Amino acid sequence: MISLQLVNSKAGAFRLSDITFDVPQGSYGVVIGPAGSGKTTLLETIAGVVKTTSGRIMLGGEDLTSAPPERRRLGIVYQHAFLFPHLSVQENVAYGSLSESIAADVADRFGVADLFGRPVGSLSGGERQLVAIARALARRPEVLLLDEPFSALDPRTRSFARRQLRALYYERHFTVLQVTHDFSEAGMLGDIAIMLDKGRVLQKGTPEEVFRKPASPYIADFLGAENVFAGTARPIKAEPPDWLESSSDQVTEMPVAFTTGALTFYALGDVVSGPAHAVIRAEEVSLSAEPSTSSMQNQFRGRITEIVPAGALTKITVDASGTPIISAVTARSVRELSLGVGKDVVAGFKATAIHIC
Amino acid sequence: MEIDASALETTPVPRQPNAVARAAIAVVVALVASLFLLFVLAPVVGLVASGGGRGLSILGRDAELRASLALTAITATIATTLGVLGGTPIAYLLARRDFPGRSIVAAAMELPLVIPHPVAGIALLLVLGRASPVGRALYEAGLRVAGSSTGIVCAMLFVSAPLYVSAAREAFARVDARYESVARTLGDDVWRAFRRVTLPLAGRGLTAAAVVMWARAVSEFGAIVILTYNPKVASVLSYDRFTSFGLNEALPVAAVLVIFALVPLAALRALRRESK
Repeated sequence: MISLQLVNSKAGAFRLSDITFDVPQGSYGVVIGPAGSGKTTLLETIAGVVKTTSGRIMLGGEDLTSAPPERRRLGIVYQHAFLFPHLSVQENVAYGSLSESIAADVADRFGVADLFGRPVGSLSGGERQLVAIARALARRPEVLLLDEPFSALDPRTRSFARRQLRALYYERHFTVLQVTHDFSEAGMLGDIAIMLDKGRVLQKGTPEEVFRKPASPYIADFLGAENVFAGTARPIKAEPPDWLESSSDQVTEMPVAFTTGALTFYALGDVVSGPAHAVIRAEEVSLSAEPSTSSMQNQFRGRITEIVPAGALTKITVDASGTPIISAVTARSVRELSLGVGKDVVAGFKATAIHIC
Repeated sequence: MEIDASALETTPVPRQPNAVARAAIAVVVALVASLFLLFVLAPVVGLVASGGGRGLSILGRDAELRASLALTAITATIATTLGVLGGTPIAYLLARRDFPGRSIVAAAMELPLVIPHPVAGIALLLVLGRASPVGRALYEAGLRVAGSSTGIVCAMLFVSAPLYVSAAREAFARVDARYESVARTLGDDVWRAFRRVTLPLAGRGLTAAAVVMWARAVSEFGAIVILTYNPKVASVLSYDRFTSFGLNEALPVAAVLVIFALVPLAALRALRRESK
């Protein structure tokens, strides 16, 4: 496991401040954050190559805060491989390996055994990265630190590398902490997501939680939430609404009226009256020609102002009384509803789809 | 996209120098560069051309010249070895670590580069001469510095080691510290990571730095002549022949010294070509 308690460190002028999180044994943690947020410094602090100025780092249940990197039983893979250029591929993989057979086995799994005789300088970017991953795993680390290791790979190699890493991860039950700026990757791989910015942890939780309930408009924006509204929240009832199914994690959320511009949304949240932000993912906003008779609490008539194809979905902006609401719908829906710029539609979303922060 | 035609008409277009002006600039630049090259090469080529043949021919019968060349090579090699042993850790620390007093150490390493070399000789004499406590202690321990080969090594080390430290520091700085970080996580301690990764990667740069130091030590005169006139290294011998017998006698010795100094220069060029 990886456990950081109020860890502070300094690399040049950059500081990590009061970093606290746990990645349980055998779990896959993902660190997300914008460029310059301190993601690499965080990995290097855990690895011990950047000194911890205060706080505690526990690895595998042992306090290794001041232990040198070679005693931490971990491996690190950087975005730029850092293969030793004066050694062959085979020598790189075997560099820290516990035995030749382990090195050969890992190299075989990652498809780099065929490259053994080649000098490092002749490898492609993708091959280098695979060799770097094999080199780190050949030491059988208890903790694997990955700094955007798949970013330089073509989609096919990336998929292969992820698959092989996943297989070894399930087999050996080591703990992984991976840095990425791609939230879809975080959602796909991670059990725990840690959002980092300016050297501080802004939010941590399951990727689903961080994605659906960002702790701030900044995180929502970074994670690509299309609808982030500034406005005023006001609790309207001191008890959960009767239509909300009772469950242990929802009883603290009360009905809230959120006003932004000329619109008032009905949402759920544990908030006090005052300025707040409402976050709604575009996929949660449905479009229809007429108001729906379903249990959807928020329905607003508006006019389509923009249609932007975005991969499998199409993003449609609806101007509802001066407030733009973005919906992501399938191409089929666009055809069936004959959606086009200037057409009047109803944009609707459930109270539970709104996250107040 | 619409283009405002009136804006295009009124926007001033920067004037480009025409082909004749460009050619004239190129000729002037080439001329100045050639004159400078000639200024550097002419004395050296002239010296080797007028005295080189005679110098090489007298090598066989001029025992003093042969002894001075051997002394120069040996003392320069000892000074370079000491410079590499002492300078490499300093260069590594300056390239890699941020420590209290780092800028003072860096400035101290550059100090001998800005001091006139005869002044450096006087300073060394002050510290290592028999009149000083250190020099007296060394003398009583059987080590005479001034007026001996040890003095020559000290003078060479003082004036040329900063060149090694500076170039070695650059060589270490060119090796990304993350290679060492990876080696550490793969089980190496600091020394092992340095030996297995940093040293091989910085190796060519360090060798080039040592060659530059050796060449500088061979050509040193000012500090040596103050600290140790006798036994004579090649540079002191050429000066001695010039003051005692005139230009004609000094010429062959000076030419041989130039040819001698060309050896490390050629080695350095070969090393650089190989690293490309």
